[in-house]
Amino acid sequence: MASRDVVHYDTPLQRVLRVLAVIFVVLYLIWTLLPFVIMFVSSFKDLLAAFKLPEVGDWMGIGVFFDFTPTYKHYATLFQENNFGRYIMNSLIAAGGSAVISVIFGSLAAYSLSRVDFRGKSDLFFWIISTRMAPVVAVMVPLFAIFRSLDLVGTLPGLILAYTTFNLPFAIWILKGFFDNVPYGIEEAQMVDGATRFQAFTSILPLVAPGIGAFIVLCVLFAWNDFLFAAIIGSGGAKTLPVATRELVQPQNIQWGAIMAAGVVTTAPMMLLGLVIRKYLVTGLTMGAVKE
Amino acid sequence: MATVTIRNVWKYYNQTPAVKDLNLTCPDGSFVSILGPSGCGKSSTMRMLAGLEHISAGDILFDDVRINDLAPKDRDVAMVFENYALYPHKTVFENIANPLRLRKASEATIKDRVNGAAKLLEISHLLDRRPSELSGGQKQRVAIGRAIVREPKLFLFDEPIAHLDAKLRAHMRGEIKHLQKTLGTTMIYVTHDQLEALSMADYIAVMHDGELQQWGTPSEIFNHPVNAWVAGFVGEPAMNFVTAEIRGGGDGVTLKHANFEIPLLASQVGKLNGAAQAGTARMGVRPDALTISMTRPDGPAITGVIFVNELLGGDMLVEVQLQDVRMRVKTSTDFAGKPGETCWLTVNREKWHVFDAGDGHAYF
Ligand SMILES: Nc1ncnc2c1ncn2[C@@H]1O[C@H](COP(=O)(O)OP(=O)(O)OP(=O)(O)O)[C@@H](O)[C@H]1O
Ligand SMILES: [Mg+2]
Repeated sequence: MASRDVVHYDTPLQRVLRVLAVIFVVLYLIWTLLPFVIMFVSSFKDLLAAFKLPEVGDWMGIGVFFDFTPTYKHYATLFQENNFGRYIMNSLIAAGGSAVISVIFGSLAAYSLSRVDFRGKSDLFFWIISTRMAPVVAVMVPLFAIFRSLDLVGTLPGLILAYTTFNLPFAIWILKGFFDNVPYGIEEAQMVDGATRFQAFTSILPLVAPGIGAFIVLCVLFAWNDFLFAAIIGSGGAKTLPVATRELVQPQNIQWGAIMAAGVVTTAPMMLLGLVIRKYLVTGLTMGAVKE
Repeated sequence: MATVTIRNVWKYYNQTPAVKDLNLTCPDGSFVSILGPSGCGKSSTMRMLAGLEHISAGDILFDDVRINDLAPKDRDVAMVFENYALYPHKTVFENIANPLRLRKASEATIKDRVNGAAKLLEISHLLDRRPSELSGGQKQRVAIGRAIVREPKLFLFDEPIAHLDAKLRAHMRGEIKHLQKTLGTTMIYVTHDQLEALSMADYIAVMHDGELQQWGTPSEIFNHPVNAWVAGFVGEPAMNFVTAEIRGGGDGVTLKHANFEIPLLASQVGKLNGAAQAGTARMGVRPDALTISMTRPDGPAITGVIFVNELLGGDMLVEVQLQDVRMRVKTSTDFAGKPGETCWLTVNREKWHVFDAGDGHAYF
């Protein structure tokens, strides 16, 4: 493998560019992180403290943001009065269930598309991807009609099915790339060694594990953050976190504190997931592109 | 252990034939080498035997049982792949253990067998590594280990030692041959190295352009090639070919060329059938069937001019310029001739060959 060291040549222009790059990164970090910081801090504030703002232009007064006594009452409200424990479970089941189902069927389909030649293969593959091309809103109404006649509206299986409909083509598409990069010789060797075709397939799964990992994350993210499906197909019996949070906005009473706390509860697991599998995710998404 | 019969087998990749009407019978327990240049269909044949490639036409039989439609795992063959095909995510130990694991062998057996194979192949110190941490030759030995760790009906070795250094290769030749004889398992061994085939095989199948050229023991292949192509492919340094005219008839037949006129031995005249009596033919002589001298010898000889001398360790190879071709002669290192000097070559007529000028088949 080639050395990873990149040789640098320092010219004045490059130094200026480097400073500019640092400034840009700092600004960008503030831009992206500030909302989360405000959300996190506010979720521990009284309503009064939350709206205590310094005068415009008074940069010294920035301290008032952090001048409060923390309270956990918003979190208590969420879980005691608003049943958020249930919604977390719903979100987990919907996201996890659809991820697992998509990955199982996705890897089987991707493997076949990668390994077997049959007539109309490229058309089939294009058709699979093309189901993702229509915007979700466009198919929402017909989908709702179908789900309603199947009595799936407002149920977790219904929501899982809806997410799977959209995740599966994505799974097939991503995973096919990963299978394409695994030399077929490995399965041939397995089969000569005494493996069945299916054993040969499972034997190369560790080689596409980064792809599967990356896909599961994207799939979970999609379902976890989704509002549209959850609001329409999951409404009622299968309420997930984004929908439940939305319901904290009531015409005469916007529960800012609870909304901030709900925001934290919704975002934190995904951020943790992101941190845990970060390394995986990066190798996963590049491994498909770089041939060994 | 099995007798392998390949009967009228064809392999087509789309429209291009890679193997053409191949017929072979490998006796039970024999060591058969498939020898041929790159792209002649050796690997295709092996892959059909292993069940990895569809057989376009014809039959393959193991012990008189047709196995065309048998899945690879049911054929009970062990194969060393040309490209190793190791499992990148497994250690060397697990790579070698894989066939045993798939057969649910006991842990003790696995350990025993794998260590035995590793020792034989001199890779015991590498068992914990992964394939990406091995050199090409080491990978190749791991691939051999994976094949010999169990006792299959048939070994298929596709250029298994092509990436080893000369010394290790010589060593592995001995080990593989010994192993095959000890186990008594039929072996089909693909190589493009004629020395490997000549030194290891009981029988050699020489292939060219997807066609079987000759089947025979190493000495038959070397001493009685059926055509000019086989004669030129087998033997190092390669055989010299000179196009010459066939002169005379009855008993006094000679090969005539601007640089020589040499009579055929009496026993050889009959082998030139009538059709070839007048016209041209190709004379083939191996470099070690020629004797070079700086003085005109008594018998018929080839006159030429020394072009260059090459020292090959214990021998000297002298290239001699004739009117239209150069001939190579093997001689001893104390040969005193210098480039540019005239010399004479005497042919050992017991060991020369005459091939048809057209299709190249051998008269003798
Ligand atoms: N999958 C394939 N598709 C199309 N043509 C192929 C395929 N595999 C092999 N061929 C062709 O078939 C012929 C025989 O190939 P094969 O691999 O059997 O050669 P080989 O004798 O093993 O050569 P080498 O010594 O280089 O390994 C070659 O001309 C090759 O280009
Ligand atoms: Mg080959």
